[in-house]
Amino acid sequence: MDKLTDKYLRKRKIPSTACSGCGLGQAHKAMVVAIDELGFDFDDIIWGTSIGCAGRQTFATWNGDNFAGTHGRVYAIARGLRLAIPAEKKLVLTVGDGDAFGIGFNHLLHAARSNAQMAVLVCDNLGYQSTGGQYGWTTPTGVKTDSSPYGMFEPNFVDPDRDILEVLKAGGATFLARHVSMDGRSLVESCKKALQNNGFSLIHCVFPCITNFGKNALGSRNTVNMFNWIKNRAAPLGEEKEDTIWRTGIYHDASNTRTEFSQMMRDKVSEIQRRYQNEGSH
Amino acid sequence: MKRYLETGNFAITQGAMLAGCNAFAGYPITPATEIAEAMSVNLPRIGGYYMQAEDECAAMHLAIGASLGGMKAMTATSGPGFILYADPYGWAIGCEIPLVVLNSQRVGPVSGITGAPGQGEFYNVRYPTQGGNYETIVLAPNSSQEAMLMTVEAFYLSERFRTPVTILADQLITDGFEDISVPETDEEKEAMGMRFMERKAHQGPEFYPPTDEIDIPPVVLGVGTKALCSDWTPTEEGYDIETVEAQHKHSYRMIYKIRNNRDIISRYETLFLDDDPDIIAVAYGTPARTVKTAVKKAREKGQKIGMIRPISVWPFPDELFKHKAKYLSVELDYDGQMVREVQRAAPADSEIHFFGKCGELPTVAELHETFDKLLKGEQLTRLGWEREAW
Repeated sequence: MDKLTDKYLRKRKIPSTACSGCGLGQAHKAMVVAIDELGFDFDDIIWGTSIGCAGRQTFATWNGDNFAGTHGRVYAIARGLRLAIPAEKKLVLTVGDGDAFGIGFNHLLHAARSNAQMAVLVCDNLGYQSTGGQYGWTTPTGVKTDSSPYGMFEPNFVDPDRDILEVLKAGGATFLARHVSMDGRSLVESCKKALQNNGFSLIHCVFPCITNFGKNALGSRNTVNMFNWIKNRAAPLGEEKEDTIWRTGIYHDASNTRTEFSQMMRDKVSEIQRRYQNEGSH
Repeated sequence: MKRYLETGNFAITQGAMLAGCNAFAGYPITPATEIAEAMSVNLPRIGGYYMQAEDECAAMHLAIGASLGGMKAMTATSGPGFILYADPYGWAIGCEIPLVVLNSQRVGPVSGITGAPGQGEFYNVRYPTQGGNYETIVLAPNSSQEAMLMTVEAFYLSERFRTPVTILADQLITDGFEDISVPETDEEKEAMGMRFMERKAHQGPEFYPPTDEIDIPPVVLGVGTKALCSDWTPTEEGYDIETVEAQHKHSYRMIYKIRNNRDIISRYETLFLDDDPDIIAVAYGTPARTVKTAVKKAREKGQKIGMIRPISVWPFPDELFKHKAKYLSVELDYDGQMVREVQRAAPADSEIHFFGKCGELPTVAELHETFDKLLKGEQLTRLGWEREAW
């Protein structure tokens, strides 16, 4: 993405320090392409990140304002920041699966409840890979990791019976989609929709980790095998096969149907100010 | 000047409003809940925001977010909430985010007794987060009036030093009703010694200069400066880096911007230190009020007793402990926290003693009994917690 790199990214951080064969760049690029296609300038976006692979690799790549929160807390920081920055600025967050669905889930759910504008791209490498490869909340059933040596037997959060996106939908999120990083165009389109929703948007995007997931779960660091392993287990919603783990596409699109958090706060505060000024002090 | 008979919680809110606070994030907890409640009433009227968080960890992060966007932000809690601040506290220290944090100490550990005063967080506010390599600024008022003043001061210092500043109160201060004077004019504010500092935004690109200088504006997002701030060790521009050299530079700044500018922070009250007193009682916060009465009465009896009351408790005011004497640290805890600092700061040949009680103030009679024993050279056999009734 040379043209886009020049336009939007910091040369110091591109290429990133990600492992060879890592799929994170596909997800990252999709968001940058979406931003470009919507005509945003680098000053229109404030980019937040979390910890882990997804956060560390994308922090300070954006050629505008960047912030990186502590583990799981970036959604709370973003909610406070949302109030303070001009309404027309957009918050984009690139975070990991452990950060969003584990340590930060309480804050994520409250961000969804409040419908604070943030386009959250959850870059899911199927567990805690930057710490060496432990299972997480999206690790597929049966898969071996460093902390599930007998195969992942804990219930995960992607099974249709307990889909994290359904939880977020019930919690008030106004745009939700799921993809795998090799989805290409459809992933870009979802990112664009997320950016166009003045509210809480989340895209769950699975990407391949060769170094730890590949080694532990598939027994090799073969990039092509790992990419195919994910691709073969993904299918668009409605076209699921028996072995489909990731049903891709838009899960919920209630974009711009609920008042955004900071807008609601601004409106309420203006209303209270007016009322108070009319009544006088007491 | 407006006068009120009100709680410390009210006074703290007044201080915050005077200092220009326009964002507050809180989570209900005794005995600091009323600060959140009062902020929810007052802030919208001046165009500010009250945010209620899902927990204290989120509360401080929300406040940090607002500060990062250029607002003057505050959060308030007590011990069980303060430990959840550990995470954001480190972030705010490392990213050098101005913020005001209030901790109203109750009796612990854990939930303990909610409606009684304690002083068990003396070290907790010095080391509020992990990792070390930082100094903290902590102000400890001993009345509602002083709590208002120290809230204003905390906002001022947080901007100049670009760091979170903690107000260390206790349940008696925040819940207790007292006479409070709130200034209305600039002259009145000045006469009360209030200092104010407006928010500025760092223009970059070197957001984290490795210097002990203060008055460097903090990072503000959304103003087109290509700002960087993160939880990782920063380069001078704010890029994440894992080198010992960068960490050394960053640590130097976090430690020495405070250590080398202590004269701006330092506040204390001393009494009768000029005639080489035999005993110097040391206390901060509400117990210092009983201690002050006890010391004055003892002087009337002819006993040579002095007093030191640190108001800025961190950095600890070592410079006040010049005299060789029998020091008596009076605290609202049984484990003796400040006594260790007194031991460290006092001249080597001084005697250091401890009087601890928790959940209630020491009485003047108890303190006089203790002074008498120390003057006679008797060993203190009855510490506050050795109860005959047991």
